[in-house]
Amino acid sequence: MTAASITCQDLTVRFPVYGADAKSLKKALARAVAVGGALGRHAGVTDVTALSNLNLKLQAGDRLGLIGHNGSGKTTLLRALSGAYEPDEGSIEVHGRIASLLDLGLGIDPSATGYENIRLRCRVAGLSSKDIDARMDEIAEFTGLGPFLSMPVKTYSAGMQGRLAFAAATAVECDVLLMDEWIAVGDAEFQKLAHKRLLKLVERAGILVLATHEAPLLKLYCNKVMKLEGGIASEVVDIRKLDQLLKA
Amino acid sequence: MQTATHMLRTGRRGALFQFQMAARDLANSFGRLGLSWSLAWHDVASRYRGSVLGPFWITLSMGLMVLGIGFLYASLFKLPLNEFLPYVALGIVFFGVMTGTINEGCDTFVLASGMLSQTSLPMFTFLWRTVFRNLINLAHHLVIVVGMLIFYGYWKTANVPLALLGVLLMLLNASWLAMLAAIASARFRDIPQIVISVMQFAIFMTPVFWMPDRFGKHQIFLNLNPFYHLLQAVRAPLMGQSVQADSYLVLVTMAILGWLVTFVIFSRTRRRLVHYL
Repeated sequence: MTAASITCQDLTVRFPVYGADAKSLKKALARAVAVGGALGRHAGVTDVTALSNLNLKLQAGDRLGLIGHNGSGKTTLLRALSGAYEPDEGSIEVHGRIASLLDLGLGIDPSATGYENIRLRCRVAGLSSKDIDARMDEIAEFTGLGPFLSMPVKTYSAGMQGRLAFAAATAVECDVLLMDEWIAVGDAEFQKLAHKRLLKLVERAGILVLATHEAPLLKLYCNKVMKLEGGIASEVVDIRKLDQLLKA
Repeated sequence: MQTATHMLRTGRRGALFQFQMAARDLANSFGRLGLSWSLAWHDVASRYRGSVLGPFWITLSMGLMVLGIGFLYASLFKLPLNEFLPYVALGIVFFGVMTGTINEGCDTFVLASGMLSQTSLPMFTFLWRTVFRNLINLAHHLVIVVGMLIFYGYWKTANVPLALLGVLLMLLNASWLAMLAAIASARFRDIPQIVISVMQFAIFMTPVFWMPDRFGKHQIFLNLNPFYHLLQAVRAPLMGQSVQADSYLVLVTMAILGWLVTFVIFSRTRRRLVHYL
């Protein structure tokens, strides 16, 4: 198997915003000045440039933290790396099995039971029914939900749902792990478990890309950091220079 | 180029490249038909979760509808029951599969927006999910169809292989219509309403509840109705009648042209679809 790697060359992702009339466009512009990316307009659709000319090279062992204020393009970059958003210019090349943990609620059906949801989530992530059968016990145990797993997820508390989703989402083996900040799920006891599991996953995964606002998390999981500002990326620097980057 | 362990996305444009990418999407979706099937099963199971009869509500409600309409129309138009009841049963069941596929096609991408915006799953996976879901519904209806045909003695003369060919042609055509509806509905939210209205109109304009010979000298309007040919290709063989050669010509042409147009539109909109949602 080839080692995991991510290569982005002159990556530009634009977002067409449909159905934005003059009024909401004005609002969007006002917002864009405060927090968003650069706005352009052509052919009746509003274009938001979410990422522009981003160059990135990551190899196995790299654990990149993404920082930047809301709307700076962190999630867009993660989605582009997951293959959902296509570049408008440039290219993305990813070697390795990708697991994107961007939204814990992905593929969660509130009226289905915990077991069914684990099954569904793992199917979407690419596991076969046999794989899931083989792993079910381990996943079920990790959730710590016991008999509740046979009950519909809508009867769960938010913390329980978080446990379920986290357990199912992290059951997948991968080489490239993409995460949007949501690590804080469940109670203190579960957080400890989650932390251990995540570290293991990070060890196993060749590459981690994590978007977060929390400096302690970055220091815990990442060895490199990159700042995004209005869709423009800074250099990738060592995690020790995080404070400088945050001040800049 | 794109396997489980290698993903390449570029901003390259050009009709040919986009066509290749669309073809890759289609090919990848065939590689993951199992996922479409699981999702479809899940959809059906969750719709009837907690009910006593479960998915057999599909069978029961269809059975009641067929009997109700069958008896009513047979007495209204003074038709022999042994002829009209199986006729109407086949009509409602197979037209239902067609409308179901096309109407639910509208929601195909809209409902999958969560998955489409954070994974590289093929778009076609979700079309197959819609098609499979309707096939599962059809399987529940088959009890009624077969029961009716056996009860009224049509089973011995029924040409099942030819009817299966008809079902295949129906699915081929319904799936491109569903794909087109899915793409259009993702971009323009008025489309589902239009599609539903059109399909509702079509069920009354097509000989589902009435016999085609009632049309008399206006037969030409019948032959211009694609849904008539779609239905006839399945229903006629099961009723022991022959299918006009014209019908096959219409269906095959429609499938080829329809898929061509749909595929071109898909290849042009594929990279934008996720942003529509």
